[in-house]
Amino acid sequence: MMKKNSGNVFLSVLAILLFIAAFIWFYWLTGQDKTELPSQLIDSPAPTFKVVDLLDESIVHTQEEFKGKISLVNIWASWCPSCYVEHPYWKEYSKNEDIVLVGLNYRDKKQKALKFIREQGDYYDWTLFDENGRLGIEFGVYGAPETFLIDREGKIRYRHVGVVDRKVYNEVFLPLIDKIKKGF
Amino acid sequence: MRQAFFPSLCLLLLLVFANNSLATIDVYEFDSPELEARFKVLIHELRCPKCQNQNLAGSNSTLSLDLKMIVYEKLKAGESDQQIVDFMKQRYGEFILFKPEMNQDNVFLWLAPLIFSIIFILVFVRWYMTHKEVEDD
Repeated sequence: MMKKNSGNVFLSVLAILLFIAAFIWFYWLTGQDKTELPSQLIDSPAPTFKVVDLLDESIVHTQEEFKGKISLVNIWASWCPSCYVEHPYWKEYSKNEDIVLVGLNYRDKKQKALKFIREQGDYYDWTLFDENGRLGIEFGVYGAPETFLIDREGKIRYRHVGVVDRKVYNEVFLPLIDKIKKGF
Repeated sequence: MRQAFFPSLCLLLLLVFANNSLATIDVYEFDSPELEARFKVLIHELRCPKCQNQNLAGSNSTLSLDLKMIVYEKLKAGESDQQIVDFMKQRYGEFILFKPEMNQDNVFLWLAPLIFSIIFILVFVRWYMTHKEVEDD
């Protein structure tokens, strides 16, 4: 009789503890920013592609061009308001000789994209023209602006969603670029 | 006459916009009703990565429209449902599935109802047996 009662108490305590653990876990889950999705391509090779250059359609770019360099691929579009905020920063970052800046003009009209470049400045070493958004989907893009850091082996090391302002660039991108330069 | 003008104008505007919204509905043509049924199931099971609380079927964001078109093209090209789901998962992760698969991150969520049910049944059976013994005595 006593033994059975102590068994009941044990199971009840176990149930309560499990419930508390589940509650804390659920609370922790809901506290996370679910709008920021981690890229599935981290430490994977950049997607394979053959896409024309925005400024010169006779030039066809492929993922092979990432090899041997550290590249920042910036997804932008003329219809994206945040891209107008972000774009002036690329003027500063383009002075960094350790990196190659690649623009990926995502789901845009050519004339509007060219107007954007003409008015806001062209700080990219080359720009991919992804008119139908298929290359963006290969990168797992879900909006603009987004920026991918690609190492010398052509692997994606980091993805940032949103504007790469000075804080993000200095505190996130530069340490990662240094790490890649040191061979990590 | 003047009183009837405003409601008539509203009605006219409604009709104009109703017409526009019809015009934005995509038309996908299928060779067989089975293919169309598979398309409908897939776009209901895949989440819009941009809008998060909607599936591809219910979202009209450009990304959803693109992904729906990819589902359509892949079905027409003869790919299986699993191949299409894998394609989406490789790019957008587990998140793209409205019914997440069991993995180490969510195993507790899947098993919690079972664990709590077993504990509840065990406690109830022990309680019942104890009370039965007391009554028998």
